[in-house]
Amino acid sequence: MSLQTQKNSGKIIAVVGPVVDVKFDGYTMPKINEKLSVEVGDGCFRSLEVFSHIGCGVARCLAMETTDGFCRGMTVYASGRPICVPVGEGVLGRVMNVLGNPIDDKGEIKNDKMLPIHRKAPAFYNQSPSAEVLETGIKVIDLLAPYSKGGKIGLFGGAGVGKTVLILELIRNIAHEHGGYSIFAGVGERSREGNEMLFDMHESGVLDKTALVFGQMNEPPGARMRAPLAGLTIAEYFRDELHKDVLLFIDNIYRFVQAGSEVSSLLGRMPSAVGYQPTLSTEVGMLQERIASTKDGSITSIQAVYVPADDLTDPAPATIFSHLDSTTVLSRKIVEQGIYPAVNPLESTSRILSADIVGAQHYAVAGKVRGILQRYKELQDIIAILGMDELSEEDKLTVGRARRIQRFFSQPLFAASAFTSEEGRYVDIKTTVECFKEILSGKYDGYPESAFYMVGDLDEVKSKAKG
Amino acid sequence: MAETVYKKISQDITEKIKKFSADYNGRSTGRVIFSGDGVIRADGLSDVQYGEMLDIDGKSRAIVLDLHEKEIGAIVLDEADSVYANMLVKSTGHVVEVPVGVELFGRVVDSLGNPIDGLGPIGAKAFRPIEAPAPSIRERAKITEPLHTGILAVDAMVPIGKGQRELIIGDRQTGKTSVAIDAILNQKGKNVYCVYVAIGQKASAVSGIVHTLGVRGALEYTCVVCATARDSAPLQYIAPFSGCAIAEEMMYSGKDVLVVYDDLSKHAVAYRAMSLLLKRPSGREAYPGDIFYLHSRLLERAAKLGSGFGGGSMTALPIVETQAGDISAYVPTNVISITDGQIYLESTLFNAGVRPALNVGLSVSRVGGSAQSRAMKKVSGRLRLYLSQYRELSSFAQFGSELDNSTVQMIETGKRIVEVLKQSKHSAYDSVHEVIILYIVMKDLLQEVPTDKVNDFVKAFCSFLDINCVDIVCEINEKNDIGLEIGLVIEERVKEFSKFYFEEIVNE
Repeated sequence: MSLQTQKNSGKIIAVVGPVVDVKFDGYTMPKINEKLSVEVGDGCFRSLEVFSHIGCGVARCLAMETTDGFCRGMTVYASGRPICVPVGEGVLGRVMNVLGNPIDDKGEIKNDKMLPIHRKAPAFYNQSPSAEVLETGIKVIDLLAPYSKGGKIGLFGGAGVGKTVLILELIRNIAHEHGGYSIFAGVGERSREGNEMLFDMHESGVLDKTALVFGQMNEPPGARMRAPLAGLTIAEYFRDELHKDVLLFIDNIYRFVQAGSEVSSLLGRMPSAVGYQPTLSTEVGMLQERIASTKDGSITSIQAVYVPADDLTDPAPATIFSHLDSTTVLSRKIVEQGIYPAVNPLESTSRILSADIVGAQHYAVAGKVRGILQRYKELQDIIAILGMDELSEEDKLTVGRARRIQRFFSQPLFAASAFTSEEGRYVDIKTTVECFKEILSGKYDGYPESAFYMVGDLDEVKSKAKG
Repeated sequence: MAETVYKKISQDITEKIKKFSADYNGRSTGRVIFSGDGVIRADGLSDVQYGEMLDIDGKSRAIVLDLHEKEIGAIVLDEADSVYANMLVKSTGHVVEVPVGVELFGRVVDSLGNPIDGLGPIGAKAFRPIEAPAPSIRERAKITEPLHTGILAVDAMVPIGKGQRELIIGDRQTGKTSVAIDAILNQKGKNVYCVYVAIGQKASAVSGIVHTLGVRGALEYTCVVCATARDSAPLQYIAPFSGCAIAEEMMYSGKDVLVVYDDLSKHAVAYRAMSLLLKRPSGREAYPGDIFYLHSRLLERAAKLGSGFGGGSMTALPIVETQAGDISAYVPTNVISITDGQIYLESTLFNAGVRPALNVGLSVSRVGGSAQSRAMKKVSGRLRLYLSQYRELSSFAQFGSELDNSTVQMIETGKRIVEVLKQSKHSAYDSVHEVIILYIVMKDLLQEVPTDKVNDFVKAFCSFLDINCVDIVCEINEKNDIGLEIGLVIEERVKEFSKFYFEEIVNE
């Protein structure tokens, strides 16, 4: 074993949860972020990453695998370099863990080279802001909070409001249409979903153009903290060296912050607001700034953001918000109404929703739709106290139209066809804008509300109203 | 004179050194230096492993949770007040393990697998560590088989598949445990092993559950792991992991297992107590930072294994108690984000007589749909969305604004669906009956039946079919589908039966 022949080795002196202190001879300390290996017997090794030097030749490290069975005095070998992952076209169609090892029974991963997962964000002069719309085929998103090519998109939602289903739908709609390379980083989510996603991707044929990195919720915090970096490193190589436009899906970026907070206090830092790590905003910033589009190529990233306790003002989602170009907020109130995808039309925003990018008509329709929904929201309090009959004729019309629009925002999703027993619909932007324009004009006021529910375009509304 | 004294002293010392080395070597033994609130610190023990079990003076046991340079931190599993400073601590060389195997089923055990039902030793042949890695992504298979609970509302709208994790959540006294117990009772004769883990509950409640299981013949395939409120926080903390290990043994030997954790909010509280005593900093609601990881690594161990790995499954039904219906509190949202869906029971519905008090809007099953039978899928496909819409419409229609015909129709059908889904506890429906009931209510065949008679009507209709039209029941069972022809036959029978039914009502 080559590791033993290396001279630089230390001994474990303390273990607290996933944090391990290793004592080295003070002159040959491993660098910060260097990968270390612990020999646990039977020729097995487990990986650590150096987090800080705490004096007297002691390196405080974060375990990438479980620490059960560690004893004081175990030998730790320095590898001389950070955790590296394979990059290049050989990783497409493969599944790996945070250490770059394959977890899909297909043997070694062929790679162009191994790159360290800790890298710098692209230089300022190299940034390339983009302003082109990326069609998703989902009405409510395309109309009110359109996504941009090469932009950063966040899907915010509490537990069980349908983030993962929406991300699967976006993978299906965008990755299929897009035809380029995609990278999926599964961070702190369910292993079952990983398995199902793999199966679905294989079925639909996108697997050959996708690389998957998993650090799921059954793994220790170290793995969950580093999985997004591993996925990002693969994407960066495609962007910088192969000059590709790539899609990066991260489900779920909140788990990255959460893993950091799990270990923060054990690493010896004082806790900050709500028990989060004091380095919350720099940690998020370091990661998010690396996800950028440059003159070489672009990374369009779609990130699911879990909102703990449904509290959007929680420090973690609040910090992530400011890094994004478009935000799609999913809300529980809309789930309760049975409207899927449960996008909150008034809270979702997009930087590119302006007349010179999406076109004057789209911009005007979106503005009117927002206005009518806002008015309905205000009227709801009055309705709750006085009832519908007390409203003026004009307000009654607004309510009726707003309720039709709300229902029309629902749409059968391909990814949800297993629960709804209905085939998904893909609606292009042009049709979407046309449809909402028609509804606003009042031509459809006569149709029953239920006809607008779970349909694609207005032709479907007509046929549903008839039959 | 002096010489002999010196000789004597040196002889004594030599002898003592000889004796001493056998007793205290500092590698596998140490001494307690601090003991309080169930937490101990000890010196020596330089060879001890992280997570290892310690033996304190042959009387108590403890688990190592911190390894420091000069000392270790551990939590005491038995009575904390029996551990004093200077007691001898020995390492045992193994991590915490519980006995596993078929011998455990039909028994009631504590968190460490010791029998507490007074029926003598268990005689288990195998042991498993309570902490184990979850099945990896490639070991898993897609969830395709249903786990039938016999509760119509659950099987139709939040179906559970074998290998799924479905959370049962709600305020206290909303029937959470009943749903889980009904699911266990309904596994009788279906070759599914069950594990019920009671965490931090009062002993009398658990004894009541064991009694129910025993009376209904469910205890023989069920193992009850019990850490009641009188047990220490560490014992409550390890209870679900022990239960999981017992279930895991069956899963890896290719069997189907159902495990119920009742409940994880008390588990979180026990872990918080331990963690604060170990001086680990706290975050939201004073829970430690790794509270998510605590539950995620437990629940991720439930899985459906691929055929290459034995094809067994572990279905988990964790229970979480909410305060005043707040499902967006910290622990509930954590567990919701781990599980594959939740059954949300609401106290307002419970008090209004809707039992099980299932909130349709907030209850989901993310995978169960693919595990439903074709017949069930056909009849229940639009049920959930229909009910959510009905709920929304009926609150909107409260203010007497004029409603169009289709809306009135929808509300009428909605009312009948709500009635049909009411079901008292321990009265499971057969899966064929479930399909038939949903078929007739979704086809609007119950418009003539007054709302308060609907539930009684469908039950009576099912027994009528069982006696008079066995062929229908058999055909649905065999084909596992409900086709056009058989649908028409059922419609005929409903008409026939309603005449007869209403005559009887009039006679009464």
